Amino acid sequence: MLEVKNLVFAYSGQTDPWSFQFAAAPGQCIAIHGASGSGKSTLLNLLAGFLEPRSGDILWQQESLRNCPPWHRPMTSVFQEHNLFEHLNVETNIGLGIHPGLKLTPQDRQAIREALQSVGLEGFSKRLPGDLSGGQRQRVALLRAILRRQPILLLDEPLTGLDREARDTLRQLLLEQKAKGVLMVLASHDEDDRRILADSTYNL
Amino acid sequence: MKLRPTAPFSHPAWRLLPGLGIASALLLLATAGLGALLWEASLPDVSQLWGSRYLRTVITFTVWQAFLSVLLSLLVAVPVARMLARQPAFPGRGGLLRLMELSLVLPSIVAVSGLVSVYGRQGWFTGIASDWLNVSWNIYGINGIVLAHVFFNAPLAARILLQAIESAPASQRRAAAQLGLGRWWYWRAVEWPAVRPVLPGLAALVFTLCFTSFAIVMTLGGGPSATTIEVAIYQALRFEFDGSQAALLAVVQLLICGFLWWLAARYGLTASLLPDRRVASHSSRAGRSFWSRLTDGLALGVFALFLVMPLAAILLRGLPGMGSAFFPQGSFSVNPALLDATLRSLAIALPAGLMSVGAALLILASGTATSRSTIRRVTDVTAYLPLMIPPLVLGTGLFLLFRPSLGNSSEGLVLVTLINAMMALPFVLQMLRGPLGRLDSASRQQADQLGILGWYRWRWLHWPRMRRPLALSMAYGTGLSLGDFGVIALFGSPGQPTLPVLLYQQLGSYRVDAAAATGLWLVLLLLLLFSVFNLLGASRLSLRRTANSPRTVQEPEHA
Repeated sequence: MLEVKNLVFAYSGQTDPWSFQFAAAPGQCIAIHGASGSGKSTLLNLLAGFLEPRSGDILWQQESLRNCPPWHRPMTSVFQEHNLFEHLNVETNIGLGIHPGLKLTPQDRQAIREALQSVGLEGFSKRLPGDLSGGQRQRVALLRAILRRQPILLLDEPLTGLDREARDTLRQLLLEQKAKGVLMVLASHDEDDRRILADSTYNL
Repeated sequence: MKLRPTAPFSHPAWRLLPGLGIASALLLLATAGLGALLWEASLPDVSQLWGSRYLRTVITFTVWQAFLSVLLSLLVAVPVARMLARQPAFPGRGGLLRLMELSLVLPSIVAVSGLVSVYGRQGWFTGIASDWLNVSWNIYGINGIVLAHVFFNAPLAARILLQAIESAPASQRRAAAQLGLGRWWYWRAVEWPAVRPVLPGLAALVFTLCFTSFAIVMTLGGGPSATTIEVAIYQALRFEFDGSQAALLAVVQLLICGFLWWLAARYGLTASLLPDRRVASHSSRAGRSFWSRLTDGLALGVFALFLVMPLAAILLRGLPGMGSAFFPQGSFSVNPALLDATLRSLAIALPAGLMSVGAALLILASGTATSRSTIRRVTDVTAYLPLMIPPLVLGTGLFLLFRPSLGNSSEGLVLVTLINAMMALPFVLQMLRGPLGRLDSASRQQADQLGILGWYRWRWLHWPRMRRPLALSMAYGTGLSLGDFGVIALFGSPGQPTLPVLLYQQLGSYRVDAAAATGLWLVLLLLLLFSVFNLLGASRLSLRRTANSPRTVQEPEHA
């Protein structure tokens, strides 16, 4: 169970602080709904530990994550863009998700190859992100998130700006993950994304 | 929750402490050196300053020549920078810019030998001038010293000024272009506001460089009437064994330089004392007409000639002697003196370059590891410390401190390496600061989440991007030490010369051909060094990217 309890945050100069509160279970997808500027990305960054809340707590399986650094939190983020290290090739980008020092076993490498193949990216392992299309980059980012095998996925507009075909592929991947018991927190403007992926909605 | 593997050296202390340790060690070393100086320069001696005619002459001369050099360098640099800015399509502009970069690494003693062949008593230019114009001059003394200083500092200043002009806000430039401002108003409206904030720092930099110039004054100066403080310190230490006089002079030098930097800092010290390699270009109406293109072209041509002639002289005079310098009297065994000097030079310069790059990286890392301002300030001060405390002053202090124990010369060479590394530090820091800080926040967040910390972060995020700047700064650091003549003159022994010392000895004993050959060899060695490091720095990444790009263009996107 992921529980967000009275999480309060304000940027410096912001008079009216945000307060977040929701809960979600493994295998569920909760959609964060709200106008732009309502704090969707902020909430996801608070969960990931990129921002420090003023008060409140985040619980995962009854344990507080409040004082956990980002690298010890059981979650992976996928943003709308800038998900990849531009100077490293596709294989390395994914591999760094499996081991932060790229110490990969032959099985790991095999898994990367198969994953790339499964989303129609075979032969792209040595390419740089700059050489890929937006949809291809997003597939790589999602593969890395999946192969990292963390119980929570934080999705911040992951499908925005992609063409129809790419969206369909990625939605399929996400649904598979949900079926495997991954908890997803989804921030999306898109009505279809929420309808297809989400089980519940948290309105900001 | 699956426990992620932790990266080696990922504790924040690993990022903070080594750099902080180095910075403190440098501060300590500087304090120790200065302390030793003040100890030796006991108070009663201060009255000696104005009592001794010799000291008075030396100090006045030092200030006067530095003042003249700054004035002339800027008088040359400002028009050159403006012309380069308004003639973006000038043929050979790129080459000229590279040539102007060379002055940063060209050993001053080599340049002096080139200048002597052009403007010396038997120089080409002197010959032409006396035949056609009936004028003659003597390169030894203040003429030659100022000439050499302008040769070194005008290109440096011009590049920094050019960068300032080209970074003028685009909106201003557009407005000026639209109004069709002429030269004078363009200067008033666009160029002067861009140049003004840079000038105090630039003037301070050039003044310090000329004020503490050693090799040039050693070779072109002479006698009490043309001796700078720096040379006087050297003479006091090496020939008169008068530690207190050396200390006194070093204190005076420190006071003047320190005051200057304080002044420059108050009036806005420019952060960029090192010219950037990338120069954007823009056009203005001021440079469009045929006449302005012609006159600018001619003036730039003269400036280029001023820079090229001494270099050409080194090449032309050195080339015939190269063979006999390496294989004397037609024998097939390599000249041991030259080979020894080369190896000794490299043995000092390569570790010095490596040390300066390593220290710079660690200092920068600790500067970014903390938000505490005191620690940041310590690392910032260390960066400019070697500019504020001239190396010879520091060397003098350390010399006095370690004197009893500096028996064997290899310890002296270690000290030379250390001080050379320190001298290169401000430049190396400047070159690495930008690339190291360029990691964007998105990448930083990803790396945090994925646990790419410590060694792993360096290996996968910084190293691939830092290869080129690292190689370049390594080349600069090594190059500066390779051409060093000041510190080695103080600590080295004449029997064990480095290449610059050998060159100085050959110049001193009027073995002009041998000197020319040694000078050329030193320049070739520098070029070799730069190309080797350039090759090492050429990342496989960029090679592959260029190899890949045509393919990606041809391939239709099937996303």
